[in-house]
Amino acid sequence: MTAFQEIWSPYLIGPFLWLAGIAGMGSVAYVMLARQRVEGYQRLAYALLPAIVLALVFVVADLSRPWNMPGAILSSILGGTFGWVRSWMAVGIALISLGTVLLLFLTLRYIAASSVLVRIVDSTWYGVLLVVVGVLITIYSGFLIAAAPGIPFWNTALIPVLWLLSASVCALALVELLLHHGDVTRQVVRMGVALESAELIAVMALINLALYGGSTAARLSAQALAYGSLAAAFWGGLVGLGVVIPLAIGIVSMKRQSRALTAAAAVLALIGALLLRILVLQAGVFEPIP
Amino acid sequence: MTRLAHLWDQSRCIACGACIAACNAANYGSTGRVNKTWGWLASNIKRVELVRGPRPMLFLVQCQHCDNAPCVAVCPTGASYRDVDGLVKIKPELCIGCKYCMVACPYEARWLDEESGLPRKCMGEECLSRVKAGLEPVCVAVCPAGARAFGDLDDPNSAISRRLAQSRYIRLLEGKGTEPKYFVVVGP
Ligand code: SF4
Ligand code: SF4
Repeated sequence: MTAFQEIWSPYLIGPFLWLAGIAGMGSVAYVMLARQRVEGYQRLAYALLPAIVLALVFVVADLSRPWNMPGAILSSILGGTFGWVRSWMAVGIALISLGTVLLLFLTLRYIAASSVLVRIVDSTWYGVLLVVVGVLITIYSGFLIAAAPGIPFWNTALIPVLWLLSASVCALALVELLLHHGDVTRQVVRMGVALESAELIAVMALINLALYGGSTAARLSAQALAYGSLAAAFWGGLVGLGVVIPLAIGIVSMKRQSRALTAAAAVLALIGALLLRILVLQAGVFEPIP
Repeated sequence: MTRLAHLWDQSRCIACGACIAACNAANYGSTGRVNKTWGWLASNIKRVELVRGPRPMLFLVQCQHCDNAPCVAVCPTGASYRDVDGLVKIKPELCIGCKYCMVACPYEARWLDEESGLPRKCMGEECLSRVKAGLEPVCVAVCPAGARAFGDLDDPNSAISRRLAQSRYIRLLEGKGTEPKYFVVVGP
């Protein structure tokens, strides 16, 4: 079989995509909770900046010419060759830079608490901007790999949708871990069950379409995950521990809540989302020639 | 318009590897450094063996200088670009080493040069300066079997146009919509 793609390290780009999703959909969750004035919502703000900064660290760690980045980006912007509307990588650079600045101000608002910052960050327009940029960062992290035609397994519209679903599951998990209390947990658990069910369907659809679709490379990737060398991590780690168990705990928790169980489900869901990205990246292969 | 392109005649190729070695010598100073992306030597031409029948079949794969190049479309900074001569080239000063072009290329035609961090591909610097000076790329010049040609597709009198007019040829992974300009001649 063709070798798995080793161009992007799954252990660097996987965590990057995961953290970008957490920061993105976490921002949406923050704005929603802040609007409802849910007790302790501020805690979420402290988690988002580290998430986006760590995402940047992981993506830069995979660059083969990181020292050239500032100069090359500046020259390409000034020279008019920056791919604003052409390249998802360029779109991501712009979005993540904007997201980092927004989240930096959000964190400073709680640390420094200057009245100007409080007014800006608590305004409606800032909240709307955080939501829009958060959703776009998450969607971008899916399109980044879906728009790479060299790897047919990634080259599907399902990936951005799956990324959005699993990043939303991560945001709920974060809320569950940081702000556990009655009403919020009940809502989070209900939303989690719906999103995890959708995530499970999307994962199965991704594998099935690739197994029965036209591309040899996509089939090889799906075979590796379904019953090949990545099957143990896929079924045991991603599907079992990362989606089915949190889903089962969610269903049980709708009737009877246990703090320890819902926290365990949240941790497992976060691990599942990370595994999803690592495995999808790892399974990618190029189309055999000819 | 100029549309420079490569031709490789599978029916004439004797699989001697001279083009591969010449690319390594001319563009990478005969370095023994490994091209880890392909598990190969530092050369822009890759040998792909296909075992489907009783006899293995050989393919030499390299950058196809696609008219609709995904590597160009995905590059965030414009470091990968299509030049007016129809060749797809890289501006090292604009490259950040994100490797997006490498995963976007359906032909896996780019490999990572770990020393410079640059994604390498056909044509290398030496070949580009030869072409600028009106010479053939080294792979074409050294081929003992005359299995290679290079030239302008839009000029009916170019070496490549004349060969194409007399041959049956295929283009690799045409279904990908990349409009590749690497012609594999399969017979007269
Ligand atoms: S073969 Fe690959 S590297 Fe060459 S132009 Fe086409 S997409 Fe780009
Ligand atoms: S590695 Fe360099 S040439 Fe390739 S897409 Fe990134 S910036 Fe462009």
